[in-house]
Amino acid sequence: MAGKAQIPTKNSALISMIADEDTVVGFLLAGVGNVDLRRKTNYLIVDSKTTVKQIEDAFKEFTTREDIAIVMISQYVANMIRFLVDSYNKPIPAILEIPSKDHPYDPAHDSVLSRVKNLFSTESVASGRY
Amino acid sequence: MKEVQNRSQDSEIESEEEDGDEETQQEQQNPQCQDQELCLLQFLDSTDDYLNLLDALSATLRQGWFELASARHSMGTSRISTALLDMKNHSAATSLRVDERDDGSVGMQPFINLRKWTSSEGGDSLGEEKYNDKLQRESGSPQLRQRNVSDLSDNLGKSSLKKEDALIVDDQVQKERSRTLSTFGTLVSPKLRLAQLSFENALELIVEIANKRIAMLSSFDEVKKGSEDTSSFKQVKEELEDTKV
Repeated sequence: MAGKAQIPTKNSALISMIADEDTVVGFLLAGVGNVDLRRKTNYLIVDSKTTVKQIEDAFKEFTTREDIAIVMISQYVANMIRFLVDSYNKPIPAILEIPSKDHPYDPAHDSVLSRVKNLFSTESVASGRY
Repeated sequence: MKEVQNRSQDSEIESEEEDGDEETQQEQQNPQCQDQELCLLQFLDSTDDYLNLLDALSATLRQGWFELASARHSMGTSRISTALLDMKNHSAATSLRVDERDDGSVGMQPFINLRKWTSSEGGDSLGEEKYNDKLQRESGSPQLRQRNVSDLSDNLGKSSLKKEDALIVDDQVQKERSRTLSTFGTLVSPKLRLAQLSFENALELIVEIANKRIAMLSSFDEVKKGSEDTSSFKQVKEELEDTKV
């Protein structure tokens, strides 16, 4: 799952966010905001007008950018693009599903924990080992 | 009767011999089993830590949102809005450093360090990292371990220097914090400052969670690999038994 390819070590990497307005504003206050020369930001504010396509594009962009080490994504937003989040399996950038103001964190939806659950359930059915 | 007793004794001896063979086989398999068990234990530990840290993150974020809402209430909705965000070219004041770390049985893993409030212009670290580096360097020097009276004054001088360094670092961190807050005006609500601190704490937790997640995934890989090996072995064994029948 965690690919054992060469680990990219970086001296200065960014934290990116795909979340609701208050979460993004809060983390920008903590100093994580970055705007490059082409006016590309390291965050996407998700509101009622944001389309799934925009979220997908942002997720793909943040997970392929070499200067990003952590991608924070609100769990309810991750649920909209679950197929993409579940298929991602690299250690860096690390994808973290975080709670949002209106949607508390649910471990049952977390991509990592659901993989673990699947492994243990198939194992217990197949061999009765765990 | 005697014949029956002799037969039963022979069978006991045979079963003891078989037990002895099994034990030697188990001893041969033990290192592999122990490795697998260690991996499983590490994996369960990191899963537990991951869930606890996420609980702590939820509480910290809730506090931050509450303080942000309070600040919005006192300053007005239009003064804390995404429309005010700085869209000019600027680099992040808080960034990360990715290193490699050897983690025992699992091997080399990436490890993420938080670099809080690094200066955007010079790329020089101002925050905790710089202060910690300095402390590490000074504590590593052998002079600090001598307990002579003559060295005491030197040590006192060094500790005062350390305090000065810490004050300078604190001052610079405060400047960076104010610079970020200035996006929402020069006079901001104290609640907004509190919200900033809460989200800084949340950021520390997020880095910890990311490291736990990396550890969890690599130990999960090992556990999965181990279980696949065992299950494939079992499949082969079952197939062989089927062919014999």
